[in-house]
Amino acid sequence: MKQPGSEKMIKQSPYDEKWWEEWERKGGWRPEGWKIVEMNDGPTLNDLKPEKFLVVHRPHGSMFHHSYGKVSQFFIGLLEGKLYGTKCPKCGLVYCPPRAHCFNPKCRLAETKWVELPKKGEVHSYTIMAIAWPSMAHLQPLVGAMIRIDGTNTCLPMTMRDVDPEKVNIGLKVRIDIAKDPKGDLLDVYATPAEEPVAPKRTPEELKRFREDMEKTRAWVKKTFGTK
Amino acid sequence: MKKVGIVAGSISRFDNPRHTLAEEMCAEAVKMILDDMPDLELGDFIRKGYACCYSYFSDILEQQQCMHWIIHDYLGLSAVPAYRVESGGATPIDAIVNAALWIRSGMFPVVLVVGWEKMNELPIQKVNEAIAIAGDTDWDFVSGFTYNAFYATMEARRMHVYGDTEEDLAEVAVLNHNNSLDNPYAQWPAQHGFSKITVEDVYKSRLISWPYRRYECAMTSEGASALLLANEEMTKKLTDNPVWISGVGFGTDTMRAGDRPDNPAWKGLYPEDEKVWPKNIPKPMSPYPDLLNFGSLRVSARMAYKDAGIKNPKKEISFVEIFDPYAGVVLAGLEDFDFCKRGEGKKMVRDGVIQRHGELPCQLSGALTAQGHAVGSTSIAQVVDSYWQLSNQIGKKWGAPSRQLSKPKKAFIHGHGGTGCQAGAVVLEV
Ligand SMILES: [Zn+2]
Repeated sequence: MKQPGSEKMIKQSPYDEKWWEEWERKGGWRPEGWKIVEMNDGPTLNDLKPEKFLVVHRPHGSMFHHSYGKVSQFFIGLLEGKLYGTKCPKCGLVYCPPRAHCFNPKCRLAETKWVELPKKGEVHSYTIMAIAWPSMAHLQPLVGAMIRIDGTNTCLPMTMRDVDPEKVNIGLKVRIDIAKDPKGDLLDVYATPAEEPVAPKRTPEELKRFREDMEKTRAWVKKTFGTK
Repeated sequence: MKKVGIVAGSISRFDNPRHTLAEEMCAEAVKMILDDMPDLELGDFIRKGYACCYSYFSDILEQQQCMHWIIHDYLGLSAVPAYRVESGGATPIDAIVNAALWIRSGMFPVVLVVGWEKMNELPIQKVNEAIAIAGDTDWDFVSGFTYNAFYATMEARRMHVYGDTEEDLAEVAVLNHNNSLDNPYAQWPAQHGFSKITVEDVYKSRLISWPYRRYECAMTSEGASALLLANEEMTKKLTDNPVWISGVGFGTDTMRAGDRPDNPAWKGLYPEDEKVWPKNIPKPMSPYPDLLNFGSLRVSARMAYKDAGIKNPKKEISFVEIFDPYAGVVLAGLEDFDFCKRGEGKKMVRDGVIQRHGELPCQLSGALTAQGHAVGSTSIAQVVDSYWQLSNQIGKKWGAPSRQLSKPKKAFIHGHGGTGCQAGAVVLEV
């Protein structure tokens, strides 16, 4: 037997630990404020009566120190502008998201090998987000797509740029880009069309509705965030 | 086979906010069961070897772990054996399946199932986040996708491959909302009143993630519900109007929907479904379920049918409650539950089969988009509504005698979590 020893620092991004420690101490459950409200309540709509409730505004939050484990190479790759997946030496399935162990039942959890992947793929399916995460709301309407990277047996969800939401379609060939300032998570990866997109078939009513939805979404973004 | 009976059921209504504490909503629900059963004594639970099974999804929404300890204590049941079941959106159906299996094992003659959720404490984007981290936080959640977006990609692919339309989705939303209008436990009428809606109203509701609009997505809710289950002997002792859980099933699929198209675990599992594929679209290695159907729903349904001895689900089942966080799950579910062939769910909607007076009424409660979706309570409430239908109590419990189906025999209720990562199902019969 041997002891594993303590971790050795290879490389580190700037990170203000102090600020978070301070914030974590502050987020210590004590209410920042409160309100007293009256509302009709009861177990059924046939049995309601007014009740008074005290509501406190109670903070909580923390910083997690998360390891990507044995698939860290994928994210190390992103930091270097490269795309990696894993390949099973037994059945040949290629995973991206990578798996350190093959999940093909025949392979008895065989350990996989790293392979560099081409930065191209195809739209397996897509959506147009009119409500995205708050941090991405300014990008709405935002195309999200399940992308099958060439040569892989999986789809990786990612957002698309430089694409007309009206034209995005299943089967569209895409280029996969990695952010110039990668942070170390999947949002560093996005897709852009690698060919002229061909819009899906829509009836005139559907198309009219679609365009109105896009207009409304863009108007909301403009109102909320100003012009881009 | 050891039979499991439903002796009583109750709901403390869905709304948002309710402000009432989880333990108080649970007490309201359990109190309704006690009111129905004057001879049932909570104090007997420990002496007679009964147990409790608790259902809630998230420790994060209230920042409270082991909430079921609070509930159990609040109900005055300390000392009584109790467990919590948690499997995302599948939590409440899995709680019922588990409780039924405990009874079948012979270990407990009676099990009280209680489910709830509180979803109004965090701002809505944080609620979405708390739900989304039931997805893979390294590979799904951080892609920028909410659950809305994942389900939307699945429906967009159904439109491409099967020809589902926006109108099909809107029709499902209309069905749900209008079915909820007589339901005094439903959130939609509590917030929006008692008028019917149309497809045009659905189109006017805001776009969430194309093709899904607001009215086609589950509500976020608070509420609680309870079921008292018992073995055959105790069921007959406790009620003269029993409904039986004659079949249970559960199943799973990959954590990440994106891993499904070539998943070797599914290849060849359902060969007849793999054949249903349009010529002009490239066929993945595992064409069923791909991102089109929910394999876990199929596995759980066929297990429940086999368990209940059902050979022809569409003929034998009187009505269905589908767990539909998004309208497209109804279209896919009808296929995965063997009510029609793959790709033909839309046809059942267009032909009015699932309407209230159709051949196979679905979503009589209003389901997740209209009755509401207080996660840990959702499927328990759908089972309670179905139990009331089968035991001829809708008139009494809803105050809406017109909504009582005429002599229904069997009901099928399903629930699932994630993007179909886990699913459960029960068959009820009189
Ligand atoms: Zn393998």
